[in-house]
Amino acid sequence: MARTIRKVVVLGANGAMGSGSGAVFAGAGIPTVFLARTRDKAEAGRARAEKMLKSTAVSAFITTGGYDDLEREVADADLVFEAVAEELAIKREFFGRVDAVRKADAIVATVSSGLSIAAMCEGCSDGFRKAFLGIHFFNPPNVIVGCELIPHAGTAPAVLAEVRALLDGPLGREVIETSDTPAFCGNRVGFKVLNEVAQLAEEHGPAFIDALIGPHTGRAMAPLATIDFVGWDVHKAIVDNLHAHTADEAHAAFALPAYMQRLIDAGHLGNKTRDKGGFFRTDGKGKDAVRLVLDPATGSYRPLADVAVALPPFVAAMNAAIRVGRYGVAMDAMCEAQGPAAELMRKVILGYVSYGLNRVGEVVERARDVDRIMGFGFNWAPPSVLVDAIGARRTVALLERAGLPVPRVVLEAAERNLHLFDEPEVDRGRFFVASTLAA
Amino acid sequence: MTRPVYILGGYQTDFARNWTKEGKHISAMIREAVEGTLAATGVEGREVQVGHVGNFAAELYAMQGHLGAFLVDCDPAFAGLPTGRHEAACASGSIALLAASAEIEAGRYDCALVVGVEQMKTVNPAVGGDFLGTAAWYEAEAKGIEFPFPKLFGKLGDEYDRRYGLKDEHLAHISAVNYANAKRNPRAQTRTWYMSEAHACGTGDYNAAIGGRIKISDCSQVTDGAVGVILASPEFAEAWAARRGVQLDHTARLAGWGHRTAPLRFDDKVAASAGDPYVLPHTRQAILDAYQRAGIADCWALDGIETHDCFTTSEYMAIDHFGLTAPGESWKAIEDGVIDFGGKLPINASGGLIGAGHPVGATGVRQVLDATLQVTGRAGKYQIDNARRVATLNIGGSGTTSCVFVVEG
Repeated sequence: MARTIRKVVVLGANGAMGSGSGAVFAGAGIPTVFLARTRDKAEAGRARAEKMLKSTAVSAFITTGGYDDLEREVADADLVFEAVAEELAIKREFFGRVDAVRKADAIVATVSSGLSIAAMCEGCSDGFRKAFLGIHFFNPPNVIVGCELIPHAGTAPAVLAEVRALLDGPLGREVIETSDTPAFCGNRVGFKVLNEVAQLAEEHGPAFIDALIGPHTGRAMAPLATIDFVGWDVHKAIVDNLHAHTADEAHAAFALPAYMQRLIDAGHLGNKTRDKGGFFRTDGKGKDAVRLVLDPATGSYRPLADVAVALPPFVAAMNAAIRVGRYGVAMDAMCEAQGPAAELMRKVILGYVSYGLNRVGEVVERARDVDRIMGFGFNWAPPSVLVDAIGARRTVALLERAGLPVPRVVLEAAERNLHLFDEPEVDRGRFFVASTLAA
Repeated sequence: MTRPVYILGGYQTDFARNWTKEGKHISAMIREAVEGTLAATGVEGREVQVGHVGNFAAELYAMQGHLGAFLVDCDPAFAGLPTGRHEAACASGSIALLAASAEIEAGRYDCALVVGVEQMKTVNPAVGGDFLGTAAWYEAEAKGIEFPFPKLFGKLGDEYDRRYGLKDEHLAHISAVNYANAKRNPRAQTRTWYMSEAHACGTGDYNAAIGGRIKISDCSQVTDGAVGVILASPEFAEAWAARRGVQLDHTARLAGWGHRTAPLRFDDKVAASAGDPYVLPHTRQAILDAYQRAGIADCWALDGIETHDCFTTSEYMAIDHFGLTAPGESWKAIEDGVIDFGGKLPINASGGLIGAGHPVGATGVRQVLDATLQVTGRAGKYQIDNARRVATLNIGGSGTTSCVFVVEG
C-alpha cells in the first residue's frame, strides 16, 4: 500500500519536539500543519522551525492553527504526529478527537519518549489502533538523525512499513525499530549510564566523576553535563519510569539519587534554570563568568576552579592517544590501568557495553540496533565499537572480572574472533573525543 | 597514458566531522584515512612502496608542516617509506595524484598511497577566509579583504554575465542539485542540512550575499576531511585482483589526465581570455588534454562528472568547459536537467564541494575516489546507473591550476 504522505498535522507544534519534528516534515517538502493551543503559539513553533533549518523558504510548506482547527485539519491528513505534554490523560483526549475525524487510512504517531504505545491507544477504535505507532525523534531532530520506530502489538505491518519508508527515505532518518518496552532502547541504555554516574557523583563529587567518564570514554558530552542539558525533570521522569517498570540487572542503577530529588524540589533543573543550575552552573557573563559545581551533600555550589580534580595518569594517556587517532591504544590504557579510578571507569563503560548488548532479544532484535541508536541518537560510541577497540576476548575477561553479565553477542565474537560493529558507512573514530579538560 | 595506472579503492572520512571539537591533531586525520584505505582495499602496509600527501595550508590552520612524514607513523610496515607533500591550493590533492601516477607510469613503484587532507575548523570563518586568500595573489587580491574568494568567484559570474548573460536562478539550481545529491551520500557534510531551490534563490539573514553575486547558498563548505586512495601498476593490480577475486577489467584505472596552470591573478586570466569563447581557456585545455589522453571525443563518452564547485559559478563554468553546451550556454544544460542525478550527464552525484564538503587539500583525492566508486558500482545510494567512465575537475585558486582525470572501470 505504497502511498505518498501529502499532509502532516503536528499536535503540540509549539514545543521543542513538536516544532523540531514539524521542521523535519516541512523540510522534506511535505505540507505540514502546526497546531497548538492558539495560532500564536503555533506561529512561534513555525518561527522556531525556520530558525532550526536556517531558512524562511521552508515556511512555504507550513500552515498554522489552534486546536479549534483540529477536526478540520485532521480530516484530510495522511499522518497525525502527536507531540503534546507527556501525560497519558492529555494524549488520550487528543487521540479521541483524532479518532473521530481521521481518514480511514490516516496514520497516527506519537513522539512520546516514555509512555507505553499500547496504553496510549487503549480505548480508541480498532482502525486507530492499527494505524498507531511511536516515532521517537531525539532533540533537536533536524540535527540528530537517529530515531526509534515503535509499533505496539496491534500496529498493522503495512503501517509500520509505510512509516519506515518515509523515515528512511524523504526524512533521511536512521531508523531503529524497538519493542514497546519502557523508554524503548536509547533512553533505557543511555539513562542507565547517566543515572549511575549521578549516583557515583554523591561519593566522588560531580567534577571528578564527570571528568573521569568524560568524552575520552566515547561520547561528545560528559554524563553530568548531559543531564544538565537534558533537564533534571526530564531525567527524573525517564529514570523513575524505568525504575518502576523494569526489573533487570540494572534496576538499582535507575533509582534517582535522593540529593537530586531534593534539588529538583528546590527548582534546580539544570541548564533550563540558569540561576539555580544543576550539577554545574555558570554565574556572570563573558570574562566575569565563573563555572560552579554542585556539592551533592549540601546542595551548595563552589567554583569549579577551586575543586581539585586529581585524575590518574592513565586518563591523560587515553587523551593523548585519542588526539593522534590511536583509539586502540586509548582503550588499552583504560583496560590495563590499576587503581580505584580505573576500576570505576571500567565499571561504568563495561557496564554500558553489558547492559546495552544484553537488551538484544528483549528491546531490539540485533546488536546493530543498539549500536545505531547509541551512535545516531546519543552520539556515544556504540557498544560494539568499544568491544572492537578493546577486543572481544579481552572484553569478556573484563566483564567476568567486574561481575557483569556477558552478552551473548560478545561471547560469540570472542569465540569466533570477529568484529562486532557492522556499520561500514560510519567512522568509528568520531566517537572517541579527547577531553579538553585533561589535555 | 604509456602504462595504465589502476586505482584499487580508498577511504573518505565523514566530512561532517569537526576534528577540533573532537580534540584531534591533523595526524589523526591522516591515520584514519590510511587505516581506512588499507582496510577498504585489502592492501597490506608492507606492499605500499611510496606515499604522497596533498595538503594546502596545514602550516596556517594547524601550525604543522612536513605532512608526508606522518604517513610513516601510520603502519608499522611503513618504516622508511619514501614520502612527500604537494601543494597547489585547492588542487593539492590532484597534484599528489599526478605525482604518484607519474611514478607508477615511470615504473619506479608498483603501489602508491595518496592521501589528501585538510583541517579547517581550527579557526573562525574570517581567519580561515584570510588563509584561503593565499591561494590567490595574496597582496594583490586578498590582503585586508574579508572573504576574498567568494568575491573572486563572484567576478567569474560577472564575466559570464558580461560576455553571455547569467541568471542567478541557474546558480541556485546548481546549489539545490548539489545539496540534494549530498543527501544520498553518507559521508557528505551537508547531508542533514536544509536546502531548496526557493531558499537558494532567496536572500536575507539566512542567505546573505558575501561577495558580489555570491550568497551563502552558492558557497562550498569549510570542511575537515581526509581521503586516501591506492594507485597501482598493472602487475600489482593483476595480482591484487586475483587474490581479491575480482576481474582486472572491472578495476578502476586512470585513463587520462590534464594539468594546466593559468596566471595567478583573476583579472590577468580574464584579460588573457578576451576574445576566446571560453572564459578560462587553460581549464578548457586541461579537459581537452584529458579527453585526448583517454581517447574519447567529448563529454558524451562520460557517464558522470565530479567537478570543482567551490562556488556555483565554478560549476557553471565547468558545464560549458566540459562541452555539455556551447560556450556561454551552461544554462541550457541546467534547464534541461542534464546535470541532475538521473540526468543525461550527472554532475557531482556525491554532492560536490557544495554538498559533500571541501577540505581543500583532500578534494582532488575525494573526487577520484568517488569516480572510482562510481565506475566500479560501489557508490551505494548515489550510484549513477551503469557508470563506466567518470571525469574529475579540480581547480586551485581562481581558476589557476586545473587538474582533470578520466577514470574508467
